[in-house]
Amino acid sequence: MTVPENPDPEPPEERQRVDALLMRRIAQGDKEAFASLYDRFSGPLYGAALRIVRDPTEAQDIVHDAFVTLWEKASTFETDRGSAFSWVITLVRNRAIDRVRMRRRRAELLADSVPSDLGYGEASGAPSVEDAAAMGDDAQAVRAAVATLPPEQQRALELAFFGGLTQEEIARKLSEPLGTVKARIRRGLLKLRDSLAQRL
Amino acid sequence: MIEDRHEELASLYAFDLLEGAERDQFESALARDGELQSLVRDLKETACRLAFTAPPATPPPGLKQRVLASVTAAGDRDADNVIRPSASVWKFVPWAIAACLTLTSAWLGQRFASTRSELATIRSRQELAEISFQSTQQQLEAERILSQRRMEDSERLLAGLNRDLGVARGLVAERDRQLADSRTQVAALDRQLGEARTQLASVQTRLTDRERQMAALTERIDALAGASAEVGKQLGDARQRIAQLNDELKTQGDLANLKITALASMLKNLPQAQAIAVWDPKKQEGILDVQKLPALAANEDYQIWVVDPQYPIPVDGGVFTVEPTSGSSRVKFTAKQPVSVINAFAVTRERKGGVPKAEGPFVLLGK
Repeated sequence: MTVPENPDPEPPEERQRVDALLMRRIAQGDKEAFASLYDRFSGPLYGAALRIVRDPTEAQDIVHDAFVTLWEKASTFETDRGSAFSWVITLVRNRAIDRVRMRRRRAELLADSVPSDLGYGEASGAPSVEDAAAMGDDAQAVRAAVATLPPEQQRALELAFFGGLTQEEIARKLSEPLGTVKARIRRGLLKLRDSLAQRL
Repeated sequence: MIEDRHEELASLYAFDLLEGAERDQFESALARDGELQSLVRDLKETACRLAFTAPPATPPPGLKQRVLASVTAAGDRDADNVIRPSASVWKFVPWAIAACLTLTSAWLGQRFASTRSELATIRSRQELAEISFQSTQQQLEAERILSQRRMEDSERLLAGLNRDLGVARGLVAERDRQLADSRTQVAALDRQLGEARTQLASVQTRLTDRERQMAALTERIDALAGASAEVGKQLGDARQRIAQLNDELKTQGDLANLKITALASMLKNLPQAQAIAVWDPKKQEGILDVQKLPALAANEDYQIWVVDPQYPIPVDGGVFTVEPTSGSSRVKFTAKQPVSVINAFAVTRERKGGVPKAEGPFVLLGK
């Protein structure tokens, strides 16, 4: 098992500029750039995929497929539409959610599973000291910003990003009216945006 | 300024939580609003940052090799589509050939060294593909089972719906029959209503006639009432006249039975004194009219006597006085005992109040 690279010391703007440059080189078929980008992104991408699907093998498949897609579609990436990380994490998240939903359908088919089997309802645990040390500035900043949100907003954002649920399913899971859940997602995300803008 | 509603939709859109028409409408608004596009971009970036809140996990080292191997394979496939340099660089051809030969040698060496690892990777991918194939087969089997169950459920549902449909048709037929009966009843009621209206019109006509007759009768009764009053008045007058005639006739009858007697003075010093007595035997009363009798002392009265042969002494007829100046008086008197035959009337002078049997001198006498 390899250790992820040390936290990126670059400021956010510089980090995004480097990511965009790597993407342009990848679009030109530069495998070294591709390997560099893999080293920069694979940790959080794999962590997010694992958080969603709760299965290491599936998480590896998802990250693999996402990077292959990145290699093949890098030329379509446009910096003015978002960061490279957002582009790739979106690929990973979509694939992971597809798998979760497929698994849920399968569980419904077999009628021998319960929601907890699908990885829902489990709050993400606090990282250990070693894990925290392994996280980059981004991770620490995001976790600190999320920690400032009210617990109900944290829970709503967590389910919205990692849950693979619809609005109504989130509302049912939280036993709250749909309008309340929508408002929590809106307020939480706006506050997180503002908080991250100050921290990064 | 972005509305709260659009902020909310943008937040949900950032998590890919909008669906259907809501998503279409938002994307339509998004295409027209640059400020909203900027917000969505920011929120998507922020949402993606939540990936860092996942528990830290390190991908296995083999994953990188696997990814790179896949990318290399894809790169080889694309190699045929590489654009060749143009003819303007022919002067660099010898150097390029030499460089290519060098690179080719190096590449062939690297290729030879990496063939084994690629073969291992391909075998690993084959195993993964087989696992994936088995997984897909299991999924398809599960979906087949579900489809079969759904089909069975659908068939049961269809059978139930057919039964319900049969029941519903029976109900509809029953309702149709009830409707037909109701229509028949309505038609009958319409006929009855028409007849009732005809009868009502007839009754109204008759009522109108009766009212006219009643008015005529009222007028006639009023006329008769006027005539009746006149007749009643005439009848009253006639009855009064009859009563008068009866009275006259009775009076005439009574007069025939009256006893009228003139009484002469029995006083020598006052021969002009006289009286007339009229006696009604039926009423047992009479009237005495005296003239020119002398006034009496205060302790004396004149007393009337009726002489009836059935009694041994004259019957007392009461006392009277005369008006002092004229000596006249007109008195109504009755006998103290019933009398039937009168032989004479007499007046005596007695003590005040009268006596039961004559004691004083006779003043007047008549037979």
